[in-house]
Amino acid sequence: MRGWIALVGVALLAALVAVVLLRPQPEASTAERARQVASGLRCPDCQGLSVADSPTAAAQEIRRQVDEMVAAGATEQEIRDHFVARYGEWILLSPSTPAWWLIPFVVLLVGAGGLGWWLLRGRSDRSPDANATPLPDAERRRLHDEAEALDA
Amino acid sequence: MRTLRWLLIPAIVLPLGWLLLTGFGRDPREIATPLIGREAPAWTYATLDGETLSSADLTGRPYVLNFWASWCIPACVEEHPVLADAAERLGDRVAFVGVLYQDSPTDAEAFLARYGDAGYPHLVDAAALAVDYGVTGPPETWFVDAEGVVRARKWGPLTDATMREYLAAIGVSG
Repeated sequence: MRGWIALVGVALLAALVAVVLLRPQPEASTAERARQVASGLRCPDCQGLSVADSPTAAAQEIRRQVDEMVAAGATEQEIRDHFVARYGEWILLSPSTPAWWLIPFVVLLVGAGGLGWWLLRGRSDRSPDANATPLPDAERRRLHDEAEALDA
Repeated sequence: MRTLRWLLIPAIVLPLGWLLLTGFGRDPREIATPLIGREAPAWTYATLDGETLSSADLTGRPYVLNFWASWCIPACVEEHPVLADAAERLGDRVAFVGVLYQDSPTDAEAFLARYGDAGYPHLVDAAALAVDYGVTGPPETWFVDAEGVVRARKWGPLTDATMREYLAAIGVSG
C-alpha cells in the first residue's frame, strides 16, 4: 500500500514538473526582445558593459539599430550576425559557438592525461620486468663466481 | 618512443614560438576586424562645413577615412600633422575624410583652428558609420582602394611610416 502511495506521489510530481516545463511561454514583447539581444552585445567603447547597460553614443546607436531590426522582424541570430559582420565575434559577450567554452577543459584533460601517462610510464620503467628472459644457469653461475671472486 | 619524443618537442616548441612571435608583434588591445578585403560600407553624411558628402562621390578614387575626436588627446593630436601632411602631399590622388567620433562640431572646429585644418571634409553625426566600420574608439583610420574595397585599418595614431605603409595597401605610393 505504502509503495503505491509513493508511486502515485512520484507520478504526480513528474506530471507537475512536465506541466511547468512544457507550458507555452508568453511571447516576449518587441522591447523585451530588443533588450535581450542588446544585453548580449559588448559596448564597443567601454569596458565590461553590454550595449543594453551603456550610456555611450556608440551603444545608443547599436540599441537604435537593434530596435529597428527587431521591429522589422529580424531574428536574434540575424541581429547578432549583423554586428559580428562589423566588429567580429568580439562584439558578442558570450561566444556564438558553445564549443569554445569546452577548450580549457579539453586542454586540462589532455594535460592531466599526459601527466598521468608520464607518471605511470616512469613507475613501470622502475618495476621488475615480468617478460624479461631469465639468465641461463651457466651465465648465472659465472656471475655468481665473479661476484664471489670480487668479494674475496 | 624516442622518435615520438623528438617529434613532440618541435610539435610543442614551434607553435608556441609562433604564438609568442606574433603575439609580441601586435597590440593586445587591438580588436581584429572582419572588414579587410570586403566592400566598404556606403555612406552619406553632412560635413562640418555644411555640405553633404557620400562615398559614391569618391568612386574610382582611393580614400582614407579617419575617425577622430577633439577629446582624443594625445593620440589624435599626435597623428593630426601626419594626416595633414599626407593630404597636402598627395592632393587629388587620395581623398581624405575625417569622421567626428562622439564629438560636437564646435569642439572639432576649435581643434582644427588650434592644430591646423588641412582642408579635407569631416563628417558629423556619423555614429552609424562608426558602427558600420566596427570602430571601438578614436583614432582609427581605414584605407579603401579605388575599387571600394577595405584594404587596411590602423588602430591607434598614425605615424609617417605607418601612413606610407597603409597607403601602399591601397595602391598609393609617396
